Amino acid sequence: MKKPGRLVLLVCLAAACRVNEAPKPPAVVRTAPAAAPTAIPEPVLGYIDESNKGLPADGGLIRRRLIGEPGTLNAVLQSGLPEQQVLQYLSRNLLDFDSRMNLVAGLAERYEVTPGGREVRLTLRADAVWEDGSPVTSRDAVFTIRRIVDPAVPSPLFKPVFETLASVEATGPRSFVAKFREPDAAHAMAFVLPLLPEKRYAGKNFLKARENRAPVSDGPYRFVSWKAQDSLVLERNPRYFGPRPHFDRVVFRILPENSVAYQAVLTGDLDETSIDESLKQQAARDPEYGRCCRAVEYYNLDYSYIALNSRAPFFSDARVRRAVTMLLDRGSIVRNLYRGSARIISGPWAPDSPAYDASISPLPFDPAGAAKLLDEAGWKDTNGNGTRDRAGREFEFELLVSAGSNIGRQIDEMLSAELARVGVKARVRPLEWASFVERIDGGNFEAASLAWSASDPNPDPFPYWHSSQWPPRGLNSGYYGNPEADRLMEEARREMKEEARVRIYHRLHAIFRDDAPAVFVTNASAKYAFRREIGGLVTSPLGFSGIWPGPIGWWRSGGAPR
Amino acid sequence: MAGPDRVVAVRGRPAVIRYVVRRLLLAVPTLAGIVVLVFCLLHLAPGSPVSALGAESGRRVSGRAAIEMRRLYGLDRPLPERFGKWISRVVRLDLGESFVDRRPVGERIREALPYTLTLNGLALFLTLAIAIPLGVEAGGRPESVFDRISGAALFALYSTPSFWAALLLQTLFSVKLRWLPLYGVSSDPEAAGMPGLLDRLAHLALPVVCLTYGSLAFYARLVRAGVAEARSADYVLAARARGLSRREALWKHAFRNALLPLITLLGLVLPGLLSGSVIIERIFAWPGLGRLYFDSILSRDYPVVLALSLIGAVATLAVTLAADIAYAVADPRVRDGTGP
Repeated sequence: MKKPGRLVLLVCLAAACRVNEAPKPPAVVRTAPAAAPTAIPEPVLGYIDESNKGLPADGGLIRRRLIGEPGTLNAVLQSGLPEQQVLQYLSRNLLDFDSRMNLVAGLAERYEVTPGGREVRLTLRADAVWEDGSPVTSRDAVFTIRRIVDPAVPSPLFKPVFETLASVEATGPRSFVAKFREPDAAHAMAFVLPLLPEKRYAGKNFLKARENRAPVSDGPYRFVSWKAQDSLVLERNPRYFGPRPHFDRVVFRILPENSVAYQAVLTGDLDETSIDESLKQQAARDPEYGRCCRAVEYYNLDYSYIALNSRAPFFSDARVRRAVTMLLDRGSIVRNLYRGSARIISGPWAPDSPAYDASISPLPFDPAGAAKLLDEAGWKDTNGNGTRDRAGREFEFELLVSAGSNIGRQIDEMLSAELARVGVKARVRPLEWASFVERIDGGNFEAASLAWSASDPNPDPFPYWHSSQWPPRGLNSGYYGNPEADRLMEEARREMKEEARVRIYHRLHAIFRDDAPAVFVTNASAKYAFRREIGGLVTSPLGFSGIWPGPIGWWRSGGAPR
Repeated sequence: MAGPDRVVAVRGRPAVIRYVVRRLLLAVPTLAGIVVLVFCLLHLAPGSPVSALGAESGRRVSGRAAIEMRRLYGLDRPLPERFGKWISRVVRLDLGESFVDRRPVGERIREALPYTLTLNGLALFLTLAIAIPLGVEAGGRPESVFDRISGAALFALYSTPSFWAALLLQTLFSVKLRWLPLYGVSSDPEAAGMPGLLDRLAHLALPVVCLTYGSLAFYARLVRAGVAEARSADYVLAARARGLSRREALWKHAFRNALLPLITLLGLVLPGLLSGSVIIERIFAWPGLGRLYFDSILSRDYPVVLALSLIGAVATLAVTLAADIAYAVADPRVRDGTGP
């Protein structure tokens, strides 16, 4: 077994992370200059960086959309996307990702991972202050991290990354050290973490403090107001230590319906919204949209897959799992369901993840080959009823899908039709989200259509595919287990050298393709509609909100600020 | 006339009181039954506040975090114990705290209630203001051209799905013509005084229309049926014979009689004012009770769902009780148990 590398990662980062100095992402595709008013814009694929393009105008406000009401504005308690979108403006993280997915300085001006990967030492910036003027200290950091690991505090977003934390102690007014029980090359990523002001929470019930709905800012904006189920308003924080952001105010409107949000961008009630494939098609046909708006489209790290439960009698055999993969026509999914804006994947990562080995080709769509594999595995139609069987058991299973996922359902129907042709019955069963997740997390399913959503670029497959993570303990819901894969996953966590770790992931990738613990389907593009006036967009595999400065670097070009 | 009436009322009073007491006592087990049923349905339904997290982001909660959260919400306790805790708070008029934002449930409901009451109240008012004249006019001349055309039009509206109509109206009035705001309750920044009021009314226009048009047929046809039946009754003919115009005879005599079933129906509809329309409130981003209820069910926010169900049950029981009592006062056969 390979010893963990004795490499000291000592990264000193430039103290000032300028809003307009984001490094260029790979494969930069610059957007075309503002097209003639009547032209229907072409969707931009690939990554865009407009941070140095055009003339930034200061002032005015931006109207952004939230898909739902945030449950809290306490950074530790946050659980969903709306909270993350708002908090990005209010709370700087200790560390951030740039658009190339590198860790860069935030509230912490430097960090250091000790040899063996068990300790992370961070030093805070001297000029970081809360909006009341008091400095951001290591006491705040220690307080925040101790709240996260407190069993009486629900912190679904951060608990997993601090699961093996042994201790966190201040070593000076601006420095602290976090020690972990297990080595992990990715421990530093846990510190993409906003802080809470210890003093303001002293003597209060952490779960119910007033600050949870009117947070104290150390970021570029500060909180102004929150109307339940309607809107949130932020304004520029004059005490912010970093460069002055462009907008005076940020208004978030809470708007649950996608089609209405799209219309709101047309009328200028909103400056941006995410859209789905059908709205993208609608936009392409609408000349009015072309005059006021543009589509922004890029690939992130999310992907879809169909989990196959190894505990189901059919899917314990890798040949059967491979056969199911070979019966899903992923080329047709890309062409017909996504109109070209998706990529077929052959393992549990998106193609832009460093772990993804592009040389590992996906299993082909091959119904004849799949039928042969099923025969080999002993699933044959012995009783002549049209359905394959083995030892008296018919090959019939339930394929679960979240009721909210239209594309997931279409993919399942395609698979079910193809399975029927080779004598396997799959019943597609849509379930409401909470019931669906309960079945998945409990490992109580035969097959299920899932989407994997990345919150950071850490490609570690351990929580999802290691045999120690079977339900109810972890998220390996399909009970996948392969001793060789287990060993490699453990090794990758301990390997501190980036290149060597990527090589391990590539070996794992080949195993996952052949073992087919799931049908890996596609990595589809994320799609947004933007008002043409909004400039300074930078996209990345982590989306807008997953990188710094992300939306904080945007501005409204041309014309008076509203 | 007054003398014998009073005698009946005085003699009837003990019977009415006995009846009211009996009905009130009956309402208690009914309410208890509803509460137990809703509590059990909700807690035994698949899914939990933990599994409901991440509906927007698609993220799942890891094993250890899930166990801690279940303990925190008290979901690791047996069902009877959870029910006991909840009901003992409810009898002290404490509806508990939301699992989602940890604020008192009462506070969340108080925030949303005025929006739903305004929207539904206006829609009901507008419905009646249009449906009653239409119904009286159509009932006054059954099978006339007006009756047939209005009937056909009302049924066409009745069968138009409101989410579809809402999107069409938004496209026309908000996107193409720019006359009305697309969604929300007010513009940002909010104006004060008269312009502010007009702005709020403009925001109400489309959702009120969407809630109104579908229920027009229901009320208009009810009124029409009553008026059509009453118009040939002796007292209406007598009124005409006394020299009243057709219109006066219809409104003052025929319609008054047709009003009784309408009032009964309205009584049953009133608790619905509290429930809100999920679809319309979502499309117009209206911060009302319908959306709160729907979101709370999706996120398995048990305290909020239970509180809203309880309020709905109490309102419905109160209205049916009031209607029963009113019948009893009006009709001795009901209170004597010899009813028709």
